[in-house]
Amino acid sequence: MRVKMRATAAVSVFAGLSLVLGGCAAGGEPDAAAEKVLVVDSTFALSSIDPARSFEATGTMVNHNVYETALTFEGSDLSELVPEIATYTISDDNTVVTLTLDGEHSFSDGTAVTVDDIVFSYQRLQGILGNPSFLLDGVTVAKVDDSTVTLTSETSNPQLPFILPNPALSILQQSVVEENGGTLDESDDAETFLTSESAGSGPYMYGTVAVDSSITLVKNPSYAGDEPYYDRVVINNVGADTQRINVEGGQTGLAMNISSDEAEQVDDSKFTVTTGASAATYYLWLNTNDEFGGIASDVNFVKALRHSINYDDILDVVGLGSEQPGGVVPLQFAGSLESDENNTYDVDLAKELLADSGYAGETINVLYSSENAFSANVSQIVQASAAEIGVNITLNPQTAANTLDVFRSGEYQAGLANWGADYPDAANYLVFAPGENIGARVAWQYGDGGTADQIAPLVEAAAAASGDDERSAAYIAFQEALNDYGPYIPLFQPASILVSGEGISGVESNALWDVDFSTITGG
Amino acid sequence: MPQAPVGDAAVATPRRSHPLLRYISIRFLISILLVWGVTVVTFVVTNLVPTDPVSAVLGEQAANNPEIVAALRAEMGLDQPLLTQYWLYLTRLVHFDLGMSAQTRGPVAADLARAFPATLELALFVLFFSVLLGVGLGMLAALRHQSWLDKTIRVLSLFGISMPVFWIAMLAYYVLFYQLHWLPGSGRLDSALIPPPTVTGMYTVDSLIAGRFDLFTNAVSHLILPALVLTLFTIGTLIRFSRSAILDVSQQDYVQAARAKGLPNRIINFRYILRGASLPILTMSGLTFGSLLSGAVLTESVFSWNGLGQYAYKAAISLDLQAIMGVGLLIGVVYIFTNFAVDLLCGLIDPRVRVQ
Amino acid sequence: MTEGTMTIVELPKQRRLLRLPYAWRNPLAIIGAVIVGLWLLIALLAPWLVPFNPVAQGSDRLLPPNAVNWFGTDALGRDVFSRVISGSQTSIPVAIVLVVVSLVFGSVLGALAGFLGKAVDEVIMRITDVVLAFPSIILAMVIAAALGPSLINAVVALLLVSWPQYTRIMRSLVISLRGSEFVIAGRLLGGGVFSSLRRDILPNVAAPMLVMAAVDFGSAILLLSGLSFLGLGAVPPAPEWGSMVSDGMSNFSAWWIAAFPGLSIFTIVVGINFMGDAMRDALDPRSSPRSRAMDEED
Repeated sequence: MRVKMRATAAVSVFAGLSLVLGGCAAGGEPDAAAEKVLVVDSTFALSSIDPARSFEATGTMVNHNVYETALTFEGSDLSELVPEIATYTISDDNTVVTLTLDGEHSFSDGTAVTVDDIVFSYQRLQGILGNPSFLLDGVTVAKVDDSTVTLTSETSNPQLPFILPNPALSILQQSVVEENGGTLDESDDAETFLTSESAGSGPYMYGTVAVDSSITLVKNPSYAGDEPYYDRVVINNVGADTQRINVEGGQTGLAMNISSDEAEQVDDSKFTVTTGASAATYYLWLNTNDEFGGIASDVNFVKALRHSINYDDILDVVGLGSEQPGGVVPLQFAGSLESDENNTYDVDLAKELLADSGYAGETINVLYSSENAFSANVSQIVQASAAEIGVNITLNPQTAANTLDVFRSGEYQAGLANWGADYPDAANYLVFAPGENIGARVAWQYGDGGTADQIAPLVEAAAAASGDDERSAAYIAFQEALNDYGPYIPLFQPASILVSGEGISGVESNALWDVDFSTITGG
Repeated sequence: MPQAPVGDAAVATPRRSHPLLRYISIRFLISILLVWGVTVVTFVVTNLVPTDPVSAVLGEQAANNPEIVAALRAEMGLDQPLLTQYWLYLTRLVHFDLGMSAQTRGPVAADLARAFPATLELALFVLFFSVLLGVGLGMLAALRHQSWLDKTIRVLSLFGISMPVFWIAMLAYYVLFYQLHWLPGSGRLDSALIPPPTVTGMYTVDSLIAGRFDLFTNAVSHLILPALVLTLFTIGTLIRFSRSAILDVSQQDYVQAARAKGLPNRIINFRYILRGASLPILTMSGLTFGSLLSGAVLTESVFSWNGLGQYAYKAAISLDLQAIMGVGLLIGVVYIFTNFAVDLLCGLIDPRVRVQ
Repeated sequence: MTEGTMTIVELPKQRRLLRLPYAWRNPLAIIGAVIVGLWLLIALLAPWLVPFNPVAQGSDRLLPPNAVNWFGTDALGRDVFSRVISGSQTSIPVAIVLVVVSLVFGSVLGALAGFLGKAVDEVIMRITDVVLAFPSIILAMVIAAALGPSLINAVVALLLVSWPQYTRIMRSLVISLRGSEFVIAGRLLGGGVFSSLRRDILPNVAAPMLVMAAVDFGSAILLLSGLSFLGLGAVPPAPEWGSMVSDGMSNFSAWWIAAFPGLSIFTIVVGINFMGDAMRDALDPRSSPRSRAMDEED
């Protein structure tokens, strides 16, 4: 027995030693004591960080901080374009955008940014047929001279300047990318290179990149703008659940995915909670085809549903900073609809309309992605709301992959989905028109003699409109029609919540690229 | 509870020509066969999945463009008949090419090289402690049979295997990190530290190789919390198993004889009892190791460990077929060869095993 | 001759099952039985025991445990106590189904393998080995993810990975029994494989297999709640314990949302394991010198 005791004792001593040493190490100094490091916790939504291929939140954020684009936005304001590498003018018929380089920017190795780099980057985006390639659909990129580029669109394209700040249109260093397999078509092989090295001119450049766990950014010595405060930014892939503990425990400087309920518990005097409107619209969709949608394709049924939903409850659950947009365009964009009488909570009116629709107790199947934190809760609220007026909803949560697959088949009855803006302009929301992206998912096609044809002229007017006021009015009219007889019910627009640690300031939330690290200062 | 298959009590014709070698060869061949079986199972399962894997990768706008969809399908090899795909898969496998992950956009082999050491490190750490403590406590319980110590240990072991791992992980994280600040938070290393240069991928080993003792202690401190949680879980089975194995052995005649001879307890315990019980304990440890590798999904997600478990989970829910196959294959292979190693050790320790 | 064989046939049956009542001498068994019994009762009477409708949402969100909501409320204002109680109606019956089906399927295969031997044995055992070699939770995740989250799909996924353990044990039990005199005698007396299995083998393997199933019930609950925790099991708004723990993780400071369902899983599984352990001890002739002495008395 003594031997066993000794062995157990030895083990406990080792364990204890590790604990003690670990405790010492945990509170110890970081590697380079004088270096200012910002630790960021983010739940990665990431597949590629090659700008011409990246299309998910984390990739977009990283790209923005490492590359520059022709034009950009400042802080959180997405309505005003600001020059970055170039200034722009747009022709009266909105088909030609001219970019003029200011010539002051350099890549991380010191080489100046030239017009050739711009042309290369844009053409590469178009040619490799990646996820963001559609952003420059129908646009011809041409070099005019050493400081001018023209972007010529086939049809009127007033939203093009607002597309340019998208990190997918980052300016890459042509020579470096081509050296490492970059081409202008599908044979492009530079993705692997661009996943470990940045060929950019932004405030930071890549340190180490581990796509599934951690991305480190270090200062770019050739950056033309103000030098950022932090020498190093470490972005770690951390689950949302543990981020709050990390911030409050001092391990993390900035947490990006803390939920609203948790953020409200944070000590305001020590930590800063920054909210910013996101560019995501969550909406309920119902199939317009009688065969797939059943009763859900009936306009009165949809209207009944609109009035049955308790929107305030939804906003309560979604939390801080969330809002109910009047239409599908987010509230901070020009052309958004403040509110609409059609989307108000009115149980009596809902029951009336339900009776008009001829609903006979059928079950409505609502599809949503189980991986989306909001969808699960909000679907249940919708289900409960519908139950109040006597509508049976069965929830069908699927993994994101399955959800997309089923949604895109265009044959499912109903669902909860969200559209994140590709660029901050109302034109992006024409995807809800019949026959377009989302329209096709709900089997809404022209030529049906019904609601699709009814809305056709409004869609045309919106696409053809020119000038801020005219466009705004046209898109508002479009959304009002959608609310009147369309198959979408806009539910909420969540806010993004950033929680920063003690002494950290300058954190601003941007709906396109989450956060700009170069403006953050610390204590 | 799985046991080593019991063979017929047949009479074996004594062979002079290396029964051990023959035993090893047979076991090895069976292992290879099993590995092949795993590839088939993985392939079949991932291809029976009704969802189109392309959906997970393409954005809304891209999915509308049939050109892009076709290009992606060709790239993923989905436009070919199943058997061809399987054949291609096998041929690539021989070159250690596990395909490209649709999620990380990189070679699956590289992803695994990153994720596997994290889980391996954790599994080895846990295995060491749970075998030491498990067998030790089990032996204690067995030798003090029916005493209060025995009963307490048994009850505690039952507690261990009854706990939902994810719940305990969360609890441990909340109490030991958040409330008490005794242990560091998520991740394998403090965020502000740079990991040591990669040799094995295991931070503990690599930091020692690089001579960085501070990184070593930091990595160990991060290991403790997830290891604690997992140990609580695995120790239960090991305690019970070794206890019953040791009980079995200690009532055998040869042990009684040794006791009667008046040999000191220490010799009886180690030379006779532990040796005799080593077979089933070894087998059980092998199984534990295998289950640690694959079953750490829940723990890893709580501690943001970025190991195999998390990789497998993300691959499963996004239907990243190549990644799923890669993970399945890797774990299957490790599992099979762990069993092979265990069988080997058993064969070495107990000659009777080889006769079967 | 007939008389003699009958005696030999009957003795083992008596001997094995006779042991089980001795399990009750073990205090753990009693505690375990009480716990499991309580939970079964709760599962049966759940609709009458809940103070609130488990899916009724309210505006009092995230309330800590208080006089009205004994276990507090969750993110949608639902009473956690009611959800925990009705959660038993989700988890327990489903786990029973899972265990029973894998027991039956696995045992039949194992019995065939053990009894028929040779080629049948090899094939079945290799398939079993492959499935066992494959990391079960990953296979289960893939299947569940592919089929779509639902309790039924989770059960199907788990079934596909749970049967091998029964096959293995059954096979080794059958192999050790088939050389027994009474079995050989039974076959000589006439009657095919199945009647031999039913009459001679089954009574003797019933006890250990049942004990294994009883203990497996605990793992079934853990696995099901694990899959639900990962979002691959029960569908909202169903109050399943595993998914409730997962919900609780996104609201860490509202500890009650995850604590109570987790505690429920823990208590019932502990109860099952106590019982299973006691039963196993009772069956095992070598687990105590006292029972060994009883053995010799027969």
